[in-house]
Amino acid sequence: MKQRRKVALPRYGEYNCVLKYIVEQGFEARCILPPPLSRRTEDLGARNSPDLVCTPFKTTLGSMIEALEAGADTIIMVLGACRLNYFGELQEQILRDMGFEFEFINLSLYNTGNVKDILRALKAINPRCSMVKAARAVYDAAKMVEHLDDTTSAYYQNCGFDSTGTYPKIYRKFIADMYAAQSLADIREGYRAACEGFGSVTLAKPADPIRIGIIGDYYTVMDPFSNLELEQKLADMGVEVHRLMNITNDMLRGGGKNKQAKIREYSEYSMGASSTADIWQAQNFAERGFDGVIQVKSAGCMPETDIMPVLANLSREYRMPILYLTYDSQTSDVGLMTRLEAFYDMVEMRKKVNR
Amino acid sequence: MSRQNAFLGIDVGSISTKAVIIDENNAILAQEYIWTEGNPIGAVKKLLALLEKQFDPASWQIVGVGATGSARRLVGAMVGATVVKNEITAHAVGTTTFHPEVRTILEIGGQDSKIILVENGIAVDYAMNTLCAAGTGAFLSSQARRLGIEVEEMGQYALQSAHPTMIAARCTVFAESDLVHKIQMGHPREDIIAGVCRAVANNYINNVGKGKKICSPVVFQGGVSKNVGVVRAFEDLLGCPVIVDDNGHLMGAMGAAILARRSLNRTQFDFSVKNMEFVTRERNCGGCSNNCEVICVYRNGRLIDFWGNRCERGAARTDETTA
Repeated sequence: MKQRRKVALPRYGEYNCVLKYIVEQGFEARCILPPPLSRRTEDLGARNSPDLVCTPFKTTLGSMIEALEAGADTIIMVLGACRLNYFGELQEQILRDMGFEFEFINLSLYNTGNVKDILRALKAINPRCSMVKAARAVYDAAKMVEHLDDTTSAYYQNCGFDSTGTYPKIYRKFIADMYAAQSLADIREGYRAACEGFGSVTLAKPADPIRIGIIGDYYTVMDPFSNLELEQKLADMGVEVHRLMNITNDMLRGGGKNKQAKIREYSEYSMGASSTADIWQAQNFAERGFDGVIQVKSAGCMPETDIMPVLANLSREYRMPILYLTYDSQTSDVGLMTRLEAFYDMVEMRKKVNR
Repeated sequence: MSRQNAFLGIDVGSISTKAVIIDENNAILAQEYIWTEGNPIGAVKKLLALLEKQFDPASWQIVGVGATGSARRLVGAMVGATVVKNEITAHAVGTTTFHPEVRTILEIGGQDSKIILVENGIAVDYAMNTLCAAGTGAFLSSQARRLGIEVEEMGQYALQSAHPTMIAARCTVFAESDLVHKIQMGHPREDIIAGVCRAVANNYINNVGKGKKICSPVVFQGGVSKNVGVVRAFEDLLGCPVIVDDNGHLMGAMGAAILARRSLNRTQFDFSVKNMEFVTRERNCGGCSNNCEVICVYRNGRLIDFWGNRCERGAARTDETTA
């Protein structure tokens, strides 16, 4: 009998637990978790990548290398709405040139808009497994994504006001539960425990806290390592941090229907990838009276660069400051802290004066 | 008679180190401006020695110390600062105190440049250069060296030019090769210098100032504001007068001192800091593959502060010594 496949997805925030669930519960294969992203990941990725490609390419390539080193024999690469769609092909070639032997499942080759095609692609993990079982696991996994995103949102909106240090513990326990989950009941139980835990903490939150919204490119904005833990840094300053950009909002709940029509005043056509969603989200934050918005992007990200003038118009009309951050594979967060502290000081002073 | 309260503000930038001592009414009691020369600790010691000579300890006592600039953390630990603030806030606070009517602050320093928009005395928007140091003081210094003049003289040369040479302003590397080409083509030196000044202003407006509405009154500060050629270039570009405060180069330090005055934290600052031995050590944590570079600061051989670690594993023990 052929051995079970060892499947890996490059690290992407905490979403690897979702793939782990699908692979292990749905396809009865093993999931290899690449080591947490580190400087080594970035170095490996940068060394083997085209120089001017965006940082997410380098980071995911580095993580693939580390997954193969950890024993994976099958790599999955996701699809996307920008040049990310071509990443898989190039990364596969680079890894083969480096001498790795592995199976590559490139989801962008199945980018038809039909979930069934994605399932068909994943079937390569274990051709003999039951598709009913796999479909059920994908359904459970969708629940996991929702719970993961909801818990993460709740965490960053509130952890800055928890002086007891309980919030991070609950959040870490929840993440560990998701990685360990073997059934929908496990997923639900983990979520319930997290909700209950968060609910039991007394927060020292003012009636009108500083609220900052985060927008940005799919990878950098959702991956704490890549954005140098921007959300945690802001929360630690005592900010309610909101991020609408996550898989739940973008893929499962539609993230606000007819976004393009809603932002027509600012941009009539989509500029690709996360551009429409970002403009809509920034407008949403502005209408809800947020104190500021931070745009997070990888250097050379075309859609995110293209929307900057649109964001500038929005910022002017709603009188809401927007901070533009560009990330490359840097490791020092000194420059980031300078900008964040200044942004915080500014919105805080504005709030005091306008109150 | 008891001594009156005074406040020290120190701004340690990449190129220059600035400090002021002010009283409760923001009047300057002592001020100094020296080069950092890649040695922030040494620069601060030297600076303190110079300030001490201007300072009258019989009638004043320093009860608050503010540190700002890119070395604020290090210097803050060194002098026991009561306030450690980023340079953007410090500049905004300093400038709005002396120019309450200001709407736009242009700031070009050695390695960075920023723009701060102000309404009714508070900052409402700002931007800072992110990836590239094009169009900053460092660019001017290196071009002055190439042209064989002192950076301080550039402005005067630029004013003599009637036909500034066009120099590509997009990027320092391109600007430099464009400049070399123009020199070799025989353009007069003052035209080239005026072109460089214009390139700096252009680059600033196109990069840092992109999408920002620049309203008058405009205050220009940072080391580069001492270059009248760049001031003139900004006035031409913006079509309005550009104010350069005589103390513009000290605004970051002023802001830090004012923030120290406003803060409730109090200290008893002692100039003897300048005689103490400060050592920094970098070490790689090695606890995981992040290999955090942890910086440890020692005063007279004893650890007083450390940073750079992402988690507790990289924390230094407070009883550590250099020995």
